[in-house]
Amino acid sequence: MMDNLAIVAFLAYALTVLAGGILAVLARSLVRALAGLILTLFGVAGLYLLMSSPFLAFMQILIYVGAVGVIIFFAVMLTRPPAGAEEGEPRPFRQIVLATVSGLAPAALLGLACWKYRVEAGRVPADVSVSRLGEVLLGPYVLAFELISVVLFVAMAGAVVLGFERKREG
Amino acid sequence: MSCLNDLLNNPLVYYQSVALMLLGLGFFGLIWRKSLVGMLISVELMLNGAGLAIVAASQLTRADAAMGQLAALLVMGLAAAEATLVLAITVVVARRFGHVESENISELRG
Repeated sequence: MMDNLAIVAFLAYALTVLAGGILAVLARSLVRALAGLILTLFGVAGLYLLMSSPFLAFMQILIYVGAVGVIIFFAVMLTRPPAGAEEGEPRPFRQIVLATVSGLAPAALLGLACWKYRVEAGRVPADVSVSRLGEVLLGPYVLAFELISVVLFVAMAGAVVLGFERKREG
Repeated sequence: MSCLNDLLNNPLVYYQSVALMLLGLGFFGLIWRKSLVGMLISVELMLNGAGLAIVAASQLTRADAAMGQLAALLVMGLAAAEATLVLAITVVVARRFGHVESENISELRG
């Protein structure tokens, strides 16, 4: 019974991810593409919940949907193209082929690798408490933890510096 | 036939196929989109697929689950930093060229 429920939930989340991803890639207006991306992010958060990692699911909603979604929305608003020019025109056949091949080839290659070197996987995901996550973050991962704060600081500072740039003559 | 059964009983494969789907869609969008913002959205799709694959591989196998979850958290942090920088670059490009279409913002001649 629970097994069937899990399969139904997985299919629902996977469909959400697929629909959102297609909308994000193919929508004409960038605002709709952003809505598709947010749908995908919610679907992936659901998959995290299904894998019994609720902390990660909430971080996904907090960081991705909250922060990254708003940042991309700012990017859409600040660079608004003239009306009607939003990726509407038909594409040459060559570009369609190139885009499809470049999407399928890496996915197929990695899928082949996953298939060939598949490992035994349990049906029940591991259960990790948040306090254990904190211990690992300040134990084996302490260098990465400190470095990512430096990376975030540098990115923010760089963004501010770029934002202050004035138009130069010439 | 036992091979197929093996596949269907392996939940890791399901999650990995969703992650691969996100990767493929992201690559497709990266080539398909013309504006920098659309390309940013595609990159976010790919990074999400990476996080999903990492978490699935650590939660469902005998690997250390806590380290996998935290690795996905670090990927999220990097994605946030990357989105910030791309926003700044897009704003500068839009100010200088008046649009953000990747094909028309080259100043080099040749």
